[in-house]
Amino acid sequence: MSEKEEFEPKIIGFLCNWCAYAGADLAGVSRMQYPPNIRIVRVMCSGRVDPSFILEALKDGADGVLVAGCHLPSDCHYISGNFKALRRIKLLKKVLEQFGIEPERVRLEWISASEGDKFATVVKDMVDQIKKIGPNPLKGGIEA
Amino acid sequence: MVEFEPKIIGFLCNWCSYAGADLAGVSRIQYPPNIRVIRVMCSGRVDPVIVLEMFADGADGILVMGCHPGECHYLEGNLYAERRIKMLKRLIACTGLEPERLRLEWVSAAEGSRFADIVTDFTNQLKSLGPSALAGEKPDENILSCVRAAERAAGTSRLRTLVGREKKLTEEENVYGEKVAQEEFDELMEESVKEEYLRSRIYLLAKDESISIEELTKHLSADSEIVLRHIVVMKRRGLLKMDRIEGDNPLYTALEAI
Amino acid sequence: MKDKVGAVLVVGGGIAGIQAALDLADSGFRVYVVEDTPSIGGTMTQLDKTFPTNDCAMCILAPKLVGAGRHANIHLITNAEIRKVEGEAGNFKVTVTRRARYVDSEKCTGCGVCAQECPVEAIDEYDEGLNRRSAIFVKYLQAVPSTFIIDREKCIGCGTCQEVCRADAVRYEDKDEHVELNVGAIILAPGFEEYNPSLKSEYGYGRYPNIVSSIEFERILSATGPYSGVVLRPSDGKIPKKIAFIQCVGSRDETTGNTYCSSACCMYGIKEAVIAQEHTPGVECTIFFMDIRAYGKEFDAYYNRAKEEYKVRFVRSRIPKVEEVPGSRNLLVRYVAEGELKEEEFGLVVLSVGMRPPKYAKELAEILGIKLNKYNFCSTNTFSPLGTSRHGIYVCGAFAGPKDIPESVAQASGAAAEAASIIASERGKLATVKKLPPEKDVSGEKPRVGVFVCHCGINIGGTVNVPEVVEYAKTLPDVVYAEHNLYTCSEDTQKRIREKIEEFNLNRVIVASCTPRTHEPLFRETVREAGLNPYLFEMTNIRDQCSWVHIREPKKATEKAKDLVRSIVAKARLLRPLKKPTVNVIPAGLIIGGGIVGMTAALELARQGFEVHVVEKEKELGGHLRTLHYLLEGEDPKEQLSKTVKQVMENDKIHVYLGAQVVDVSGFVGNFKSKIMFNGEEKEIEHGIIIVATGAVEYKPTEYLYGLDLRVLTQHELEEKISKEEFKAEKVVMIQCVGARTKERPNCSRICCGQAIKNALKIKEVRPETDVYILYKDVRSYGFKEDYYRKAAEKGVLFINYDDERKPQATNENAKLKIKFWEPVIKTEVEIEPNLLILSAATIPNPDNKQLSEMLKVPLTKGGFFLEAHMKLRPVDFATDGVFLCGMAHSPKYIDESIAQACAASARAATILSKKALEMEGIVANVDEDLCSGCRICESLCPYSAIEMKEQTEEKRVAHVIEALCKGCGVCGTACPTKAVTMGHFTTDEIMAQVKATLVEEIKA
Repeated sequence: MSEKEEFEPKIIGFLCNWCAYAGADLAGVSRMQYPPNIRIVRVMCSGRVDPSFILEALKDGADGVLVAGCHLPSDCHYISGNFKALRRIKLLKKVLEQFGIEPERVRLEWISASEGDKFATVVKDMVDQIKKIGPNPLKGGIEA
Repeated sequence: MVEFEPKIIGFLCNWCSYAGADLAGVSRIQYPPNIRVIRVMCSGRVDPVIVLEMFADGADGILVMGCHPGECHYLEGNLYAERRIKMLKRLIACTGLEPERLRLEWVSAAEGSRFADIVTDFTNQLKSLGPSALAGEKPDENILSCVRAAERAAGTSRLRTLVGREKKLTEEENVYGEKVAQEEFDELMEESVKEEYLRSRIYLLAKDESISIEELTKHLSADSEIVLRHIVVMKRRGLLKMDRIEGDNPLYTALEAI
Repeated sequence: MKDKVGAVLVVGGGIAGIQAALDLADSGFRVYVVEDTPSIGGTMTQLDKTFPTNDCAMCILAPKLVGAGRHANIHLITNAEIRKVEGEAGNFKVTVTRRARYVDSEKCTGCGVCAQECPVEAIDEYDEGLNRRSAIFVKYLQAVPSTFIIDREKCIGCGTCQEVCRADAVRYEDKDEHVELNVGAIILAPGFEEYNPSLKSEYGYGRYPNIVSSIEFERILSATGPYSGVVLRPSDGKIPKKIAFIQCVGSRDETTGNTYCSSACCMYGIKEAVIAQEHTPGVECTIFFMDIRAYGKEFDAYYNRAKEEYKVRFVRSRIPKVEEVPGSRNLLVRYVAEGELKEEEFGLVVLSVGMRPPKYAKELAEILGIKLNKYNFCSTNTFSPLGTSRHGIYVCGAFAGPKDIPESVAQASGAAAEAASIIASERGKLATVKKLPPEKDVSGEKPRVGVFVCHCGINIGGTVNVPEVVEYAKTLPDVVYAEHNLYTCSEDTQKRIREKIEEFNLNRVIVASCTPRTHEPLFRETVREAGLNPYLFEMTNIRDQCSWVHIREPKKATEKAKDLVRSIVAKARLLRPLKKPTVNVIPAGLIIGGGIVGMTAALELARQGFEVHVVEKEKELGGHLRTLHYLLEGEDPKEQLSKTVKQVMENDKIHVYLGAQVVDVSGFVGNFKSKIMFNGEEKEIEHGIIIVATGAVEYKPTEYLYGLDLRVLTQHELEEKISKEEFKAEKVVMIQCVGARTKERPNCSRICCGQAIKNALKIKEVRPETDVYILYKDVRSYGFKEDYYRKAAEKGVLFINYDDERKPQATNENAKLKIKFWEPVIKTEVEIEPNLLILSAATIPNPDNKQLSEMLKVPLTKGGFFLEAHMKLRPVDFATDGVFLCGMAHSPKYIDESIAQACAASARAATILSKKALEMEGIVANVDEDLCSGCRICESLCPYSAIEMKEQTEEKRVAHVIEALCKGCGVCGTACPTKAVTMGHFTTDEIMAQVKATLVEEIKA
């Protein structure tokens, strides 16, 4: 990266198929513009997101990871997967902190199928936030 | 006091009007020196956006000249020009500038004296009208921003599409094999012009900083209910977004056109 | 009689119509859905959230819409109306007019470029006039079908849309078309329309901009609505500080002719107030009401939360008039509270408008030859709540009377059962079954990936450099073919994909285009038709999540598209074919409970040709119905009971076990094994489904001297007394909500108001001179029951309101029974000495529920009723497949509602029983038994009880996935400490490869 070039964070988004992914689709259908820094990985449920996926993404140089699922308490297509995601991410953030990785790099959001604008806002906000934090310290190789 | 000398821009089509102006010269017919002629290939080429730009730059009058109906070198370019000027006059009327400052005339290659007469007449008319609010050192800021909005409106695909289709729809037939009554079309045009104009004003006011409906309403001296309705449509079209909320007032910001 | 036809016509494509269509199509019948508007979905698509769970309406509805749109046996005929119906039950001939749409649904891809270019604007009906749309439009963004339509009234015929349409879909020459349908039964689900509040001119709707109707307010609250979910005043776009909700606008109102109650408005009003608070914290909401009719399951709990958590203010007052305050454009509301006239200013007023029958109800009734009631809703009766006056034509949803979504859904499934019973013999005969080539075995082959990148007209290609993405895809490991298409979803491209699979021997296929949520099933079908396992297909979204959202950054969008393609190729290389597991189905049902509900469900299933086992605890069939002697609506319950019992006993497909009990249930959907104790012996039954119809019981009051004074009776005991002609009291006091709506039991028992009115009217009939006082908290005579409430009041029954602060008091002083209560109108304490005190005792859960819920592994509500899979859209399903519930086991309800649910449960059950084998989703969990430590974490996490422990060796127990129950969420895999659980199609390796390839540009070959 040249010095002048602005830091463009790479963000991985794990989106549940039923709400958050649909919300991201709606942002598209409504032509809401947001920064192109996010790459979306579709999973069936936010409860499917294994902390190891997030760690792997950070290890491979992702500057941020977004996990988005259905609203609490009862929007989850699989009844309660979102609660499980909530617990896992909370735990993971604590672990990250111990490793010296800013926990804000990982973000959990509830986005419904009709919240296209929320999805766009979250992405924008996250890109801004991570630009402030700076690049992932693990980027560029580290023994993990 | 020095007598006011209006600045007139003349858009002359290459085949008839420009030749007519030449003929006036060859025949040594005298007319006031206020006109500056810009040659275009066809009167149909005169884009409303350019005309409004000239007004914004301080032109006191604009004269568009083309071939008489039926004589257009490009068959019907002049007829399209006629429709476009009509729309443009509606737009100018929204801005506070006098629509009479824009004039369309047919002048053939043989009508040197008619050319001179028209220029003389238009010059006199403008003299009695006085200088444009946008001419001189201190142009009227308010009218200028109105003309800028009109310029933007003239560039919207909605108005451009309507103008482009008017002749076919009202004189021939539409895709369903029906003719659209001129009055009906005029009504649609009037409404569309007003709406696009107002939306353009909102857009330009929200361009540099976010703005509330209350402020917009003051600037536009329009009903806040109507301003909100336009904002809703503009949001749907991706032209505006709600930026933030201050107290009980949401503020809106223009987005770059998609 | 003519031959029967295995097809059903559903009139109306709202939530009710869609549910009926899905149930029928899933049970082997062909279904035609005729919808008046251009897209299905109905009113629910306009709602923001739904009560009492605050679920997002579109989130829960969209999968059903897509499912109906893609179902091989559901034919959607939109923008159409019924013209003529001939024939009889089993064989109707129906003429339908499909109005010209001017857009070819085969070709339109729904991309929306036409609407962007259309120069004509019109009022957007979907946003209730608060927004504009183009003359060529789609009803709403997620519409099914997504085919656009030209509003011929508004279109000036300029031709722009045809010129910009790359799919060549616009057809100006389109004409109305008549379609002849041959069906065996008809289901009516045309819904309702909102009352037009401008007819009540005293409220100023239409004159004052800051008065909106409740449906407009739904759009205002919606994130997809005109104000993006921020509550604004239409007059000036400011956020109001105070919002008033006025209930019963066009309901319970003789001046409008709509004297009935619209049933859903109290709850949607409360919900709108709650959501307004959520969207606009700090806004003060006030609801002006006559009675809060929160009568449904968990509704009162929601009402209480609105009061306590959300600080919604409730004022009991009918509002005579609303005026605008000049200048501020605030609204002045005058009301009576505590006997005083008050006035208060509000920034916004929401009118909770009632439900009316559809405009064309009369015309429709005439065409169909069915009877309407006096309000022009469809006429039905208590014991046949889904039948119309014409055999073979059924009704569901709001057309049968105002109701909310879960009631409509239950009725819809119920109507499906009734329709199916007419044509059960024709099951499967008209259902489409596709012939497919055998699946190629690709195991051991090196991946050969084909990539198809879509331009989507200009929707993707206008921003993303599609050819560049294709060239890039060609450089990726294992990609042997890549191309771009104008529309990858078009019919000719499907053919091309099949050809390329053949030509290049592709064993993995990727489409980079729009969203898999709508298009994955289509492409999966295509690769399957080419002999590939459908799970060897993958998709990445470069439109909705790339080109459309980065329009101004074409370079970066192209880079993003390349990243997305690279990462999906990395995943696709690892894809394994998946088998859709199948389980055989035992075509028999077990029904627990032999009341009217269990019997109805049994009869419905038997009529559809299935064996049924009915297990009843008592020595006699009939349950709760045996205690009823007369009904509010006038039908004879005794006659109906004996008729139903006779039908059940005579039906040779139904096996009744009286005095019996289910003691053990094992197995899963399609294959249950149950043990029942019957005649002192254990008997084993095999069955494919279970229906829980165990009813509820009456609360035995401890209040108001019940049990201490023989003059204190429950409503049931009073009914018994009247029917024995032993009633001769001169003064009767009834107290409502005894044991209900209390701290311990916050919810309403729903039926007691109707019971009290029924008994009060009966008293006035047998002994008109008797004085009857009813002390109530809210009179909840919803729907058409309101008429009986009015009738009782006309007959002189006195209704007196009380609240929790001032409950009535009963005393026995010197053998005198005295009731003391506060009279709120005259503001005095009143004491009377009645001859009888009647308590409207709560309906409480059956004490057996707990044990049964554990045996069936299904949940209960906090209060102890059974808890369905989803309160809104799956009212009679449990989360566990193959287990259903109906009647009072679900929550207290009237007989007609219980019967509708019984039919519904049987229709839902028939979607399973009608299949020889169930094909399950292929994306399921797998356990590597060698890795499994037997820790049981996965078992405890699975919400579907799809994981059980089995013995692998004597000392080791391992987790085992019951594929038939697994829904594929993957929660177990993520939790497994030894990584023994893997998820088909979303394996850890696959997701990891996808993540890695997204971030690291080189993928290792």
